Amino acid sequence: MCWFYTNINKKMKKGKGTMTITIGLVCFVLTYIIFMQFKTVEETNITLIETMREAELTESLASWKERYNATEEKLLQNNETLIEYRQKRASNQEATELLNKELLQAQTIAGLTDVTGDGVVITFYDKSEENKVKDRELLELINELKYAGAEAISINDQRIVNMTNIMNIWIGGEDDNESYKEDFYILIDNSKRITSPYVIKAIGDPKTLESTLTAKISGFISRYSNATLKVQNNIVIPKYNGEENFKLRYAQEVTKGEEK
Amino acid sequence: MVFIAIVIGCVIGVIAGLNAPIIPYSLSGYLAISIIAALDSVFGGISSVLKGEFDLKIFVSGFFGNAILSILLTYLGERLNVDIYLAAIVVFVGRMFVNLAIIRRYYIDKWTEKIRKMREKKEIENKNNSKTIKE
Repeated sequence: MCWFYTNINKKMKKGKGTMTITIGLVCFVLTYIIFMQFKTVEETNITLIETMREAELTESLASWKERYNATEEKLLQNNETLIEYRQKRASNQEATELLNKELLQAQTIAGLTDVTGDGVVITFYDKSEENKVKDRELLELINELKYAGAEAISINDQRIVNMTNIMNIWIGGEDDNESYKEDFYILIDNSKRITSPYVIKAIGDPKTLESTLTAKISGFISRYSNATLKVQNNIVIPKYNGEENFKLRYAQEVTKGEEK
Repeated sequence: MVFIAIVIGCVIGVIAGLNAPIIPYSLSGYLAISIIAALDSVFGGISSVLKGEFDLKIFVSGFFGNAILSILLTYLGERLNVDIYLAAIVVFVGRMFVNLAIIRRYYIDKWTEKIRKMREKKEIENKNNSKTIKE
C-alpha cells in the first residue's frame, strides 16, 4: 500500500493539492452514492420489491387493478339493475295475470268469447205470410230475457251484445212496380239477415227464465202462441263476430281530471 | 496526503450517505448502474496507477462520464423497451474483473519475488555459516 501511495505521488508532484482534493471528492461521491443506495434498498419493503422488480410489472399491476375496480363497479351496477329488472318482472307478471283475468271477464261480458251453460231455447216462428214476426217482438223477448237474468243471448246463433240493433226490412208491398218483389226480413247489426224460425238461446238460471217467460198474462210465451220454450243444459252460444261495430268513434272515456 | 484524502472522503461519504434521504425505488436502478460504472473507473484507476499510466483527467472524466452515460443509456433502454443496463453491467463488471486480475497478478508477482529474494539471502547466509563451521 505504501508503494501505491508513493507511485501516485511520483506522478502527481505538480498539482498535489488538486489531486488530493479531487480523489477525496471522488471517494466521497462514490461512498455517498453507495450508502444511499444501501439505505434505499434496505428500507424498501421486500414485498414491494417483489412487485416493483420491473417497471412494466408495476405498471401492468396498476392498470389491472384499475380494470379490476372498474369491472367490479360495473358488476355491482349490473347486479343492481338485474335485481331491479327481476322485481319489475315479478310485478309485471302479477299485473299481467290480473289484467288477463280482467280482460277475459270483460270479453265474456261483452260477448267476445264462446260461452256455454244451462238456459232456455225459445223457438219463434211466423204465424203466416201476412203475420210475420216483427222486430219489436224480438226486442221485447230479448228485453224480457235480460230482465230474467240471461247472461248471454243469441238469435239464430248471432250473439246479442249491448250494441246490437234489430230492424225490420220491408221491400215492396205498397209499391206498384211489378219488378219489386215483396220481401220481409229482420236485420241484426245492419248486416246479418235472419228469418223465421227464430231460435233464441239464453244462458242464465233456467228456472227464473222459464218462470218469467211463462208467467200468466205478462209472460212472453203466454202472450205469443207462436213461441215455444224449452229448458236445455249446456247450451253453446258463439261469440260476437262483427267486431267492427265495437270501434268507438265518438264516445270517449272521461278522465278523472275532467270530471267535476 | 492522497491516502488521507481517500480515508476522509470515504468517512464523510458514509456519514452523509447514511443521513441522505431515501430516493424513490424506481430511480434506484439508475443509481445502481452509476455505482457500478464508478466502481469500474476506480478499479481502472488503481490498475493504471500500478502500470504507471495514471492520469487524473482521464480518471475523473471516466468516473463521472461513465456514471452519467450509463444512467442515460439505461433511460434510453427503458424508453426503447430494451434492457441496455444489462449490457452496461456486463461490460463494467467484466472490466472490473480484468482490472482486479491485473492488480492481483501485480501483487502476487511482487510477493513471490520478495520470497525468492529472502530465500536467496538465507541460502547465502547458510553457505556463509557452513563455511565458518568448516573453518
